[in-house]
Amino acid sequence: MVNRPRNSGNFMENVSQFDLNASLGLWLERLAQAPHFRNENVAEMESHVRDSMTKLQSQGLSEEESFLVAIRRVGTVGKLEPEFAKVNRSPWNMIIHGVILAFFSVGCWILWALLQVPWMLIRMLSDAPPLPAFTRLLMGCSPFLVVPPLLALVYCLYALNKKSDVRPSWRRFLAATVGAILLLAFPIIVAVLLYFVE
Amino acid sequence: MLTKELVAASTVPLVLSVLTEGENYGYALIQRVRELSGGKIEWTEGMLYPVLHWMEKEDLIESEWREAETGRKRKYYRLRKEGRKALKEEKEQWLTVHETLATLWKTSLSLT
Repeated sequence: MVNRPRNSGNFMENVSQFDLNASLGLWLERLAQAPHFRNENVAEMESHVRDSMTKLQSQGLSEEESFLVAIRRVGTVGKLEPEFAKVNRSPWNMIIHGVILAFFSVGCWILWALLQVPWMLIRMLSDAPPLPAFTRLLMGCSPFLVVPPLLALVYCLYALNKKSDVRPSWRRFLAATVGAILLLAFPIIVAVLLYFVE
Repeated sequence: MLTKELVAASTVPLVLSVLTEGENYGYALIQRVRELSGGKIEWTEGMLYPVLHWMEKEDLIESEWREAETGRKRKYYRLRKEGRKALKEEKEQWLTVHETLATLWKTSLSLT
């Protein structure tokens, strides 16, 4: 009793507290949350860890020890994720990039068409008021509206050929294009409205 | 211990070669390679699976989920015709490297 380690009670408590299913479930959940891990990959990892644990336990390790050693040998999610990304690439990412690019191009074309409205009115009506300076400035810049879709196209081609393990996310591309459309639309709408107000 | 680069380069021929012994599952493949290399070839175990899946995509191997003797499900891999062909090519390449180095080292050993 005298030689009994002070924390042996705690140790026993820890041993009895280890819940393999809960710990394994938590680890598998972390794998499943990684974007390039499919359900089948997670199932295979579980099978691997259980096989590894069986072997380690036959060598004398406890359930908890064998679990910790087995998951350590598998490797961290951060290390595995790029490797799985190489084989689990989905074509949908690029398809969605293409759809966003198409919508973005149409959006830019609509903005360009909007800028032509005052010009068309001037040509149609003989007593149409002159164009305000700001409207004239933006109308002069309207051919440059072809630049944003071209930049987006270049980005998509870059994303398509990117050698990196993880390809760019379509969500970021969507956010960037929506932001660009809003930024372009605001002065254009102001310029067109300015003409009608004046 | 082998360098990371050499371990990576030898993974495909090793897997193909082990699978010539018959179908097998991931964990057993790792154990077999460890045993054959005397522990000198150590894979980060999880890294093997993306390689296996890539080999499957390339039609070198095929897989099947089956119930093992333990009652749990396991994914078994086996060699395909394309895999045997690829192994033949790999063998030729590795033997060329091996023979070249062996000849060079034999020459350099006799010089020293």
